[in-house]
Amino acid sequence: MSMKIDIKKLKGIVGEDNIRDNIADLYVYSSDASVHSKPPDVVVRPGSIKEVQEIMRYANKNKIPIVARGAGSGMSGQTVPLDGGIVLDMKWMDKIIKISPKDVLCKVEPGVINDELNLVLKPYGFFFPPTPSSGRICTIGGMIGTNASGNRSVKYGATRDAVIGMKVVLANGDLVTLGSNTKVDSSGYQLAKLMVGSEGTLGIVVEATLQISPIPKYRAMGVANFKNLQDAGKMISETIAAGITPSMLELMDKVAITAVNNAQNLGLPDVEAIVIFESNGMTKESVEYEINQIKEICKINNGIGVKVTHDEKEMTKIYTGRKKLFPSLSRYKEGLYTTALADDMAVPMSKIADTVNKIHEIAKKNNVVMSAYGHCGAGLIHTKILMDTSKKSQWQGAKKAVNEVYDYVHSIGGTTSGEHGIGFSKGPSFKREKEDSLGMMHAIKHALDPNNILNPHKLMDSPDDWLNATPLRYQIEKYN
Amino acid sequence: MAAKNKTKGKYLKEYEKQMNMCIRCAYCFEKCPVIKEVQWDTDGARGKIIMSYGILTGDLKPSQYIADKLFRCTFCRDCMERCPSNLEILDIFSNARAELVDSGFATDTHKYIIDNIKKTGNIYGDTEVITPERKGKIALFIGCQYLGRPNKTKKYIKILEKLGIEPTVVEEICCGFPMDVLGFKNEYEKHKEKFKEKFPFKDAIALCPTCTVFLKEGHEIKAKHVLQLILEKLPKANLGLKITYHDPCDFSRGLKIIDEPRKILEKLGVEIVEMKNNKENSRCCGGGGGILMTDQKLSNDIAKKRIYEALETGVDMLVTSCPTCETTLKKAAQEISESEGKTITVRNIEDIIWKGLKNAKAS
Repeated sequence: MSMKIDIKKLKGIVGEDNIRDNIADLYVYSSDASVHSKPPDVVVRPGSIKEVQEIMRYANKNKIPIVARGAGSGMSGQTVPLDGGIVLDMKWMDKIIKISPKDVLCKVEPGVINDELNLVLKPYGFFFPPTPSSGRICTIGGMIGTNASGNRSVKYGATRDAVIGMKVVLANGDLVTLGSNTKVDSSGYQLAKLMVGSEGTLGIVVEATLQISPIPKYRAMGVANFKNLQDAGKMISETIAAGITPSMLELMDKVAITAVNNAQNLGLPDVEAIVIFESNGMTKESVEYEINQIKEICKINNGIGVKVTHDEKEMTKIYTGRKKLFPSLSRYKEGLYTTALADDMAVPMSKIADTVNKIHEIAKKNNVVMSAYGHCGAGLIHTKILMDTSKKSQWQGAKKAVNEVYDYVHSIGGTTSGEHGIGFSKGPSFKREKEDSLGMMHAIKHALDPNNILNPHKLMDSPDDWLNATPLRYQIEKYN
Repeated sequence: MAAKNKTKGKYLKEYEKQMNMCIRCAYCFEKCPVIKEVQWDTDGARGKIIMSYGILTGDLKPSQYIADKLFRCTFCRDCMERCPSNLEILDIFSNARAELVDSGFATDTHKYIIDNIKKTGNIYGDTEVITPERKGKIALFIGCQYLGRPNKTKKYIKILEKLGIEPTVVEEICCGFPMDVLGFKNEYEKHKEKFKEKFPFKDAIALCPTCTVFLKEGHEIKAKHVLQLILEKLPKANLGLKITYHDPCDFSRGLKIIDEPRKILEKLGVEIVEMKNNKENSRCCGGGGGILMTDQKLSNDIAKKRIYEALETGVDMLVTSCPTCETTLKKAAQEISESEGKTITVRNIEDIIWKGLKNAKAS
């Protein structure tokens, strides 16, 4: 252990069965879906708000870092405990406290899994609109931490749009209630909205009030193929500019198409780009109208083989294929491994095609492979770097590629992260982008967490050299 | 206390690439029966892959603690069903277990099972197994579970013969799956040769789903489960039962045998009310992967969850087609009945087929 932690004290708070400090547990909890790995000193599993408060008071008094974690599916190192300390595994706090269809809201604990919440909401005719691809395992707490959005963000927005209130345990152990139970709220600072996307650096969310949406009665999904990315990008931006609000507008480039075909046998065509679009609504007519408009825009932009389906099984197959895209990238090519680097960004709609082309150009220049895909209807692009992770030269190339990609994104008015958050692997790019507001962020952080125990060295405090901030989890050279 | 890694990743080296391909997305958590019960990352597939990687790289030394975690898996294949990178997760686990076994961390119970197989050819250590030997047209592998249940074996053989399927039954030894899955790889390699001598067939049918999978994967025998042949020849009947069907993991996710048992039941006039998690999404019974021998409480908790799901269907009978599922679910059903008064009968499909044949004959 790198710091002195009173395990007995923690056991007294949460119970013997809810603490783990074996080296194997610490090793497992040292990583998430990012490239980084750093072990905590102990993993603690609270089961109630009171327990979170007591742990926080103890940690704050003794200046012990605390990192909250749900499924640990974050890609930028949000839940990697850079400074050791306590990892709070929030999965035990998984109750759905209240569902109120007449108030169009529900209240949940942070460990509730997104898809499981939707299963419970379904009989009421509602769903929780942010739909991250990891919805089957990600927790509401994690979604709040990163302001997750997902495939339907083009229509429904992100987690911040759907979170209207919350209870938060602050660094000093105080419990505060933020926001309200209403969609509109002009009552002072919007502190609940501030917490969303703060990646556990300002407080620990222990209860969230979520706005829910009615499940649309009808939907249809289409797939359009494009011979070049430019046409696909134009199709996307023209669809949005035309005032159409599809419920999904996804781009997949050739790398993504190949990987998905290799991993999942989906039989997608061998083209440069595919756009998946979906329209949903309460009437068949509104859905058909929108689908026809989108088809027309596809045609204008040289879309080929446009297919539309109303069959639920077929739509589920396409949707599932898209949701599994990121892990499928591991199957793109033998010898290349997927790394969550430059994993997401958001750009102005008119710049999507240019950005995707630029990503490929930067990848080629730095001798790595990059895939571009994502919820482009919301201006959000995902990339991953595929490379031989055993070679130092590849990591150097990746580092350069990450810098160049974000420099470009900033130059065209884009932002470092659309939904995955910053953690620390996007820290340097984020700090460059937000240079003039870093002072404000530090002031807020210091006001709420003067001892800097809440997920330290993330966001604006992240290290300048992300590559060497922790051991990378690909230590192949270590034992060869 | 951690031991030196004597094996130096001997078994896991082959899976190095696979473990690097794991992007730690945690999709394997979705319906993992162990994670759903214990909710610690370490106990799920991702955690086990990370620990296995740690053993390979030397970051982790084999220890009893790690062994306990690695043996806490029912081998239900749900993680493999979810993994978008199509990793050979169970192969990684059985080889990680081999690292632990070679480093001296096998449990006494596991060693006892392996000794039984070596000395007597079956997992029970039974020296008086009576094999219903006969000469027929297709080799039938009975397997330890059914050899230990002679009445059930008799029933199955009678069913086959009534349907004109003439099985050849020879004195047999365990397929070796327990050796492989529990990480006794050296023992398994030696056993494989003995097995070949005792069961020298290239084509076979089997009674147990797990044996069927292992005959194919471990011995490269063209193996089918008996239900696949029974379906072709089964006459219609009108049993008028309403039941729920539990898909054994080795059927639904291993062999992809999902429709055949259902078609058999429908042919016999049985109405199936599906549980919430069915077919390829079937929940584990808690009986596989050696967990019955090392963590009975966890196994039972998993089984009880399945029985609660069955009770939600409102029927009074659960039918399955695996002897392990039958045993674990029966036990769980009994406990729930005794403690909560909620009752559901658990049967294996051969009982229903037997009833159906009698009914068909009568009508």
